[in-house]
Amino acid sequence: MQRLLIFFIFLCANYTFSQETCTVSGHITDASDGETVIGAKVYIASIQKGAITNNYGFYSLTIPCGEYELEFRISGQRTEKKTIVLNGDFLLDYEMGANVQSIDEVVIRGDALDNTNSTKIGQIELDIAEIKTLPAFMGEVDIIKTIQLLPGVSSAAEGGQGFYVRGGGPDQNLVLLDEAVVYNAAHLFGFFSVFNADAVKNVNLIKGGMPANFGGRMSSVLEVNMNEGNYKKFKAKGGIGAISSRLTLEGPLKKDKGSFIVSGRRTYIDVIMRAAIPDSSPFSGSSYYFYDFNLKLNYKLTKKDKIYLSSYYGKDEFQFGNKDNDFQVDMPWGNAIVALRWNHIFSSKLFMNVSGTMTDYLFSFGSEQDQFRFELKSGIRDWGGKVDFSYFPNPRHRVKWGLNYTYHTFTPTSVSASSDDVEFDTGIAQKLFSHESAAYLLDEIDLNENFRINLGLRYSTFQHVGEFTRYIDGGISQPDSTITYGKGDLIQFYHGLEPRISLRWLLPDNSSIKAGWTYNYQYVHLTSLSAVSLPTDIWFPTTNIAKPQKGWQGSIGYFRNFNENKWETSAEVYYKDMRNLIEYKEGALPSDNVNDNTDNLLTFGRGWSYGAEFYIRRSFGKLTGWVGYTWSKTERLFDELNNGLKFPAKYDRRHDLSIVASYKLNDRWNFSAAFIYATGNTLTLPTSWYVQGQDLLFNYGSRNSTRMAPYHRLDLSAIWYSKAYKIKEDPEGNIIKTKKRFRSNWAFSIYNVYNRANPYFLYVDNDGDFLQGNFEISVKQVTLFPIIPSVTWNFEF
Amino acid sequence: MIKSITYQFILFASFIGLTVLLNGCTKEVTIDIPGYKEQLVIDGRIETDSPPFVLLSKSMEVYASTDLEAFLNGFISGAVVTVSNGTTTVTLSEICSDNLPPGTEELAASMFGIPVSELANYQLCAYTSFDPAIWGEIGKTYTLTVSYEGQTYTAETSIVSPTSFDNSYWQADGDTPNHGFSWVTLSDPGGVFDAYKWEVKRIDLDENGEERDQSFMPTFSPVFDDEFFDGLTFDFWYENPYAYGEGYTEDTEWLFEQGDTVVIKLSKMDEPLYEFMEKKYIQLQTAGNPFATPTNIPSNIQGGALGVWAGYSPSFDTLVCEP
Repeated sequence: MQRLLIFFIFLCANYTFSQETCTVSGHITDASDGETVIGAKVYIASIQKGAITNNYGFYSLTIPCGEYELEFRISGQRTEKKTIVLNGDFLLDYEMGANVQSIDEVVIRGDALDNTNSTKIGQIELDIAEIKTLPAFMGEVDIIKTIQLLPGVSSAAEGGQGFYVRGGGPDQNLVLLDEAVVYNAAHLFGFFSVFNADAVKNVNLIKGGMPANFGGRMSSVLEVNMNEGNYKKFKAKGGIGAISSRLTLEGPLKKDKGSFIVSGRRTYIDVIMRAAIPDSSPFSGSSYYFYDFNLKLNYKLTKKDKIYLSSYYGKDEFQFGNKDNDFQVDMPWGNAIVALRWNHIFSSKLFMNVSGTMTDYLFSFGSEQDQFRFELKSGIRDWGGKVDFSYFPNPRHRVKWGLNYTYHTFTPTSVSASSDDVEFDTGIAQKLFSHESAAYLLDEIDLNENFRINLGLRYSTFQHVGEFTRYIDGGISQPDSTITYGKGDLIQFYHGLEPRISLRWLLPDNSSIKAGWTYNYQYVHLTSLSAVSLPTDIWFPTTNIAKPQKGWQGSIGYFRNFNENKWETSAEVYYKDMRNLIEYKEGALPSDNVNDNTDNLLTFGRGWSYGAEFYIRRSFGKLTGWVGYTWSKTERLFDELNNGLKFPAKYDRRHDLSIVASYKLNDRWNFSAAFIYATGNTLTLPTSWYVQGQDLLFNYGSRNSTRMAPYHRLDLSAIWYSKAYKIKEDPEGNIIKTKKRFRSNWAFSIYNVYNRANPYFLYVDNDGDFLQGNFEISVKQVTLFPIIPSVTWNFEF
Repeated sequence: MIKSITYQFILFASFIGLTVLLNGCTKEVTIDIPGYKEQLVIDGRIETDSPPFVLLSKSMEVYASTDLEAFLNGFISGAVVTVSNGTTTVTLSEICSDNLPPGTEELAASMFGIPVSELANYQLCAYTSFDPAIWGEIGKTYTLTVSYEGQTYTAETSIVSPTSFDNSYWQADGDTPNHGFSWVTLSDPGGVFDAYKWEVKRIDLDENGEERDQSFMPTFSPVFDDEFFDGLTFDFWYENPYAYGEGYTEDTEWLFEQGDTVVIKLSKMDEPLYEFMEKKYIQLQTAGNPFATPTNIPSNIQGGALGVWAGYSPSFDTLVCEP
């Protein structure tokens, strides 16, 4: 470690140039709406030097002073040029596409050269416009379902929002919305994501080689950046679909200075259910809906200062009623997220972002029957702050450093129950408090034309503090006891160094080899009892019993572009080792933590995953899309589970193939298709049955020893766009095209085209009466979704 | 009770939500389920003032035949079964259903799971003792030892102090004036672990002049502990487990009818037995629910057998269903 630090310090030393240097820096924005462009490239062909805009659209390029032709590239489909004379530091804010007339939604993504040039390994950016052209389940464009089509990423189950990256659990993904953590990114038991595509600008997935500015999770980072809103003019867009509708309004707060966007959507499943369930039905009180709102305000205070306020509020509301039994269940859950950020440019080489975030997730469950009443609540609230600096001393050297802090309040389970006026003793509502902080330094250096190294070091700490009551089970011989900690008392302190390294070796023929190694600590855990993701899954912090998860991942890959960068390909292999993973002990119930601590019910073990990923992508031309294939193996080993023997993880998949294609026939029609094939998920089924007290009971075998049938599915979609231009002839006979203010499209989708009955879960069913002699045991497969056509009408003006 | 009910409610609501909203379809499949191994199953019981009664059988592969005849005739004989109360150890005798000692028919019928009238039709064998020295007594711990095919299995269970209801009453359900649940007032002893099992039978006479129910039947979720009401006095109700199927409508099923005479058997049990019973009923009630965790039922038997050695301490209350 000491040698590594010395090497690191050596690399951090300022890189000096013999020539006098000048710096050009600024923001790149889209001329049509003034939105900053993430991942745009500023490139100087004559010296083969360039820079890429960060998440705030900022770039900085330090080069020898002189006259240059700057190329501004976005999407690889458009390159614009501007000549500048550099004889000192130069602030250049550039508007892309000021002179371009296009009816297409602008596809904005990093240049394809990034595939081979950058040190990014295991990172994929997705364009929201591209996502919108892909087949959508029930017409709902879904970011998370799209990333599940990428190599190395698996879905939890049919339609589920939980995703598993390279063998890691769903809690090991850091999901960020404008830098605020999202704990539950799912609506409707996981079938829809909380991200409204109309409010999203860009999506970036990091599944390996996690840079040091990210931490707190072991497997991946999913960065979702919200649109900023139109700085030029007021606009509205929306859509009316089969199960939901949405509306987005955006416009300038002050032209070219500030903007806003507000976006909302709501499902009307409850309306459909009310119509479908007659009043006479005992279930007529049942309904479900979700809604969410996104709001973002942005303002350029000065040329060097900009502030952003982002917020999200969403809620699912499920109600179930049975009039016959006077039985009523009310189950709401949802997230509230706020992020306030301030960008400041200290100099053309030094950029700073300061963020303050608040995240709140709450699940509650209430039921009433006659005089009985039950209530259960669980949730998490974070208050966070961070500061990040980006320093660009020269084009061959980029440095980032920063500090993060989060104050967590966890409410694992709070239960109350009563019968008439008798209040049951359900213990005190437990809350757990903790401080999580980190400091990091990240340095990316081109050692020569071919070799680039990205070094990072992150130091993280975690303090579990009072108030807290520790319940100690005395077993059979001793009475149970408790230890009470006062407010702010330190209960446990953890800390650790998290070194990260990524390397890129540029090869001839537009190819490169990249390697990455990262070490991560994770201080929050998701405890789940069911085979599928539920809102009842409980977030739980590290305590003196639950140790932080930690582990490393190494990956190496070969990257090559073909046909003038029109085709990007990569092949990566990885190995991931994970310690202190968490599962419930055999037979634990989630509500057992009443008058007890959740971590007393947990058991700890290790896991590992290895695999190979192959990816071919085409981002240019009429036909775009990708093919991703993953071979992987993921296992777990817990002393107290499965008799101490290793077992496959429930999302262990040997093969996972995705083929995604989109074809733009002309300005009016776009067609797309997605095909998925995956080895079936594992599950635990009974291996035998026996009879006790006249009841037939099952005995389960090894954990996850049964594998469901393979999953495969084809989805198709077609989008028909209205005419975007009016064509007129002027008095001189010239054809004049004018852009229509109102534009719309019809998106037709067919989910599961060949109606494959994919397994959602299996169970062993017993039918008939054993004592009557007509008893049968069989294995049943439940399939959720048959072929589902949908149509959505989208508009904007 | 509350925690398992809460858990089940959440699972139930989630499952209902999923199925109602998404209308999933189900089909039978054949799939390889590896890992079957045959295990001895011990189903033993001892109650206050009753002889110990032990049935031995074997676990069956999931896809094995579920033929009732084969199962009923498959109870194991030839094992050596002893029960000890700490001072007296008795080797149980093997008895068979077609040759039962007088007075044991009802207990045998309830353990075998067939009506008393059908006992003679089967060759069902069990282990018991008619030596009153080993019959159940409050406050004693009973050790069961089973030796079979060279293996020895042991288990312990206690007969704890019983708790009776303060009061029982019948109350008509709002929608059905002649039908209602059975209600009780229970004062739970404070400061100790208490676990209960609720069973009922109706003893009013049917048209043949016989008691309507031959044996006690557990309710839908019959076991509960006092985790949340230790030392409290409160009222609660239970349904009529006999009232379903033919002859019952949505308005009357699970309810007692005005005029019914019901014996409520409230049995106390020790903690290991409650663990078994709690998980057993959760398994029975969550079968087929994808949100439930596959859970093996924790046996109190050492040596690798399935099943349980159960000591019950019952108290009885007769309720006449009249307002």
